[in-house]
Amino acid sequence: MIWQQLQSLAGSYPLALRGLGMTVMLSLISLVLGTALGFGLGILRTGGNRLISSVIGAWVDLIRGTPFLVQIFLIFFILPEFGIELGAFTAGIIALTNLAACFICEIVAAGIRSVPTGQVEAALASGLSRWQRMRQVVLPQAMRIVLPPLVGQYVLLIKDSSVVSAIGLTDLTRVGWLVVQRVPNGLLVFFLVGVGYFIVCYPLIMLARRLERRMGQAHGEVQL
Amino acid sequence: MSTPSQAKTGMIDFRGVNKWFGPLNVLKDITLSVEPREVVVVCGPSGSGKSTLIRCINGLETIKDGDLIVDGQRLGDPATNMTLLRTEIGFVFQSFNLYPHKTALENVTLAPIHVRKIPRAEAEQAGRDLLAKVGLADKVNAYPSQLSGGQQQRVAIARCLGMRPKIMLFDEPTSALDPEMISEVLDVMVAVAEEGMTMMVVTHEMGFARKVAQRVVFMDAGAIVESGTPEAFFSAPKTDRSRAFLSKILRH
Ligand SMILES: Nc1ncnc2c1ncn2[C@@H]1O[C@H](COP(=O)(O)OP(=O)(O)OP(=O)(O)O)[C@@H](O)[C@H]1O
Ligand SMILES: [Mg+2]
Repeated sequence: MIWQQLQSLAGSYPLALRGLGMTVMLSLISLVLGTALGFGLGILRTGGNRLISSVIGAWVDLIRGTPFLVQIFLIFFILPEFGIELGAFTAGIIALTNLAACFICEIVAAGIRSVPTGQVEAALASGLSRWQRMRQVVLPQAMRIVLPPLVGQYVLLIKDSSVVSAIGLTDLTRVGWLVVQRVPNGLLVFFLVGVGYFIVCYPLIMLARRLERRMGQAHGEVQL
Repeated sequence: MSTPSQAKTGMIDFRGVNKWFGPLNVLKDITLSVEPREVVVVCGPSGSGKSTLIRCINGLETIKDGDLIVDGQRLGDPATNMTLLRTEIGFVFQSFNLYPHKTALENVTLAPIHVRKIPRAEAEQAGRDLLAKVGLADKVNAYPSQLSGGQQQRVAIARCLGMRPKIMLFDEPTSALDPEMISEVLDVMVAVAEEGMTMMVVTHEMGFARKVAQRVVFMDAGAIVESGTPEAFFSAPKTDRSRAFLSKILRH
C-alpha cells in the first residue's frame, strides 16, 4: 500500500519539479519587482509631500488590512469585468508584487526615518542634491535597519505565494492538490510540499539571522 | 555705524529678518551685515536664537519676513539656486554629524566628488592634504566611531573646507567636547580665520573671540541686544542682560 503510494509519488516527480519551479519563479519575479517598487514607495512616503505620503499610506494600510486571497481574486476575477483580461500568471505576479511592495515600503520608510536628521542636514549643507543625499547618506545608513526585516519579509512572501494556486497556477501547493487526488495520503504529500517550501526559505532565514548579527559590528553600513 | 546713503552689501546681510516657530518669534527684526573676511562671534543664553540665526544663512531654516542676502543672492528668491549657494557655505555642527558609514577621507571627498564633480584622484589628494592640515594625516582611513570628539570635529571642518567655501558657519563647535579637546578644534578654527575666511561662530569661547573675531554679537530672546568689538564687549558690556550673561559664563 505505502509502497505503491511512494512509487506513484515518484512518478509525480516531474510535476513536483514544475510546481517548485513555478513557486520559485513567481516569488523571484515578484520579490525583485516588489523590492524595487517598495523602495521607491518608501522613499516617496518619507519624501515630505503630504499628499503623496498619505495616498501611499492609505494604499499600504488597505493591502495590509485585507486577506491576500481576496486581493488575488479581485485582480483575477473582477478586473476582467472592467475589460482588463489577465492571465493567471500575470495576475499572480501583480498581486504578489503589490503585496511585497506594500510591506517593503513600510520597512524602508522606517529605515529612512531612523537616520538622524543631523545626517540629512550635513548632506544638505554640503550641497548634495535630493537624490545624492538619499543615495550617499540616508539609504546606506537606513539599510542597517532595513535588511533583517526585509529578508524576513521575503520568507513570508514566498510562503504567501502558495495562495496563487487558488487561481489555477500550478505552483508547489497546487501540485500537492493534484497529487493527492492520485495518491490519497494527504499527510505524506503535504509534508513533502512543506519540505519544498522549507528548502527555498531556509537559506533566507539563515541570511536574515546572519544580517541581524552583523548589524552591531558595521560602521553604519552593511556589507553582505 | 552704517552709512545709509550707500547700501553696501556684505557677504551675509540680514535686513529686518523675522522668524517664527509657530507662535514663537525666534528671530526679531535682525539686521546684521558681515563683511568678506570678517569673523563674527555670536553669543547669548540658551534659546536666544543663535543656532536659528546661522541656520537661516544656508537655508536649514527659512525666514518669514525681511531680507537675507548671502554672497549677493537673496534667499527665497526664485532666481537663487539654494543647492548651489550651499556649496559656498560650510556648516560645522555641535554634534559633528559626520557620515558614520564613511571614512574620514570619504567624508571629506563626498561633496567635492559628487557636487563639485572633481575627479576622484584629485579630490582624494586634496582630502588627504586637508586632513593633514587639521592634524589627522594618520586618520585618513578611520571611521568616525574610531575617532575622539575633537578628531571628529576636525574632520567635520576639513569636510567643509574641501568644498572651498566662501563662508563658514559654526554652531557651538566645541560645546560637545571634553575640555582637553577644545583647544585642538579652536586652533584649527583660528587657522581658518587667519586665512581670511568669512566666519560666523556661535560660541562662548571668549579666548577664541578675542583672538580672531572682529565683532561679537550678543543675542537674547531672538533679538540682537549688543554688538561690538570683543574688547569692548567683554570688558565693558553695555546692557544689563549682557552683563548678566557674561558674569555667568565667566564663572566657569
Ligand atoms: N524646530 C523648532 N520648532 C520649534 N521651536 C524651535 C525649533 N528650533 C528651535 N526652536 C525654539 O526657538 C528658540 C531658539 O532656538 P535656538 O536653537 O536658535 O537657540 P540657541 O540660542 O541656539 O540655544 P542653545 O544655546 O541652547 O543652542 C528656542 O526657544 C527653541 O526652543
Ligand atoms: Mg543652539
